[in-house]
Amino acid sequence: MSVVNYGTREITCKIVYYGPGRSGKTTNLQHVYSQLPEERKGKMVSLATETDRTLFFDFLPLDLGTISGFATRFQLYTVPGQVYYAATRKLVLQGVDGVVFVADSQSRQLAENIESLQDLHANLADEGLDPRTLPLVMQYNKRDLPAGEISSIEGLDETLNFRDVPYFSATAINGGGVFETLRSIASLVLSRLSAPAVKES
Amino acid sequence: MAKESKKKGESEEEGGEFDDFMADISQEIAKRVESLDTKPKAPPVERKKTPAVPDAGLIVEWPNIADRMIEEMR
Repeated sequence: MSVVNYGTREITCKIVYYGPGRSGKTTNLQHVYSQLPEERKGKMVSLATETDRTLFFDFLPLDLGTISGFATRFQLYTVPGQVYYAATRKLVLQGVDGVVFVADSQSRQLAENIESLQDLHANLADEGLDPRTLPLVMQYNKRDLPAGEISSIEGLDETLNFRDVPYFSATAINGGGVFETLRSIASLVLSRLSAPAVKES
Repeated sequence: MAKESKKKGESEEEGGEFDDFMADISQEIAKRVESLDTKPKAPPVERKKTPAVPDAGLIVEWPNIADRMIEEMR
């Protein structure tokens, strides 16, 4: 994993949005894309089925321009949440610098959230990445749904956030919490630039 | 695929949220790059350039003799 290249004066960070199917990962990227100024709007690559489910993955390159002499790029990916796309999820996780776990706040989706989190940990371990130290942020999405249908933030956090990482409530469908989440994971990833983690690669 | 996002008001006008994000991230990167820059930097790799044909009497530095020989054989 390498995020800073002094030779080419480039900083590239790969951030993956992970979570169960229909939790709102693609919606997060769509909101980020919708907020990009025209001159920075590249292409958001999205492969979806007819029913709008992510088939392979979404990819949004964020070219932030030259910052402190470094050409800075964030690459945002989502994984397909559906269980049978396990191989794709593994592939997308290769070389990841940080993960946003997008949990579905609906009470009936709790088991799916847990399963997806376990899947994330297993896949990270398979990639030789330490799930206990990789930059991670939790996002509890769909907070706009009726109170009776969703778990409390505290409940979700207690069940899913055993690492006690930063967490955000979100309504990605209207942009709520999307940039807060992105800012947090970007900051965590960047904080490792100066840490010995750079030598890990 | 692309869905129209509803606007939330406040700083959600086109690009507003992104600008805030950029401002924060730029600061963060500047800080990190600065902290990394404490170790001696390797000089940038100089690409070999074909020296311009010197004016008469002007002495120019050649990167190495092999380059010069190749250049003079052209």
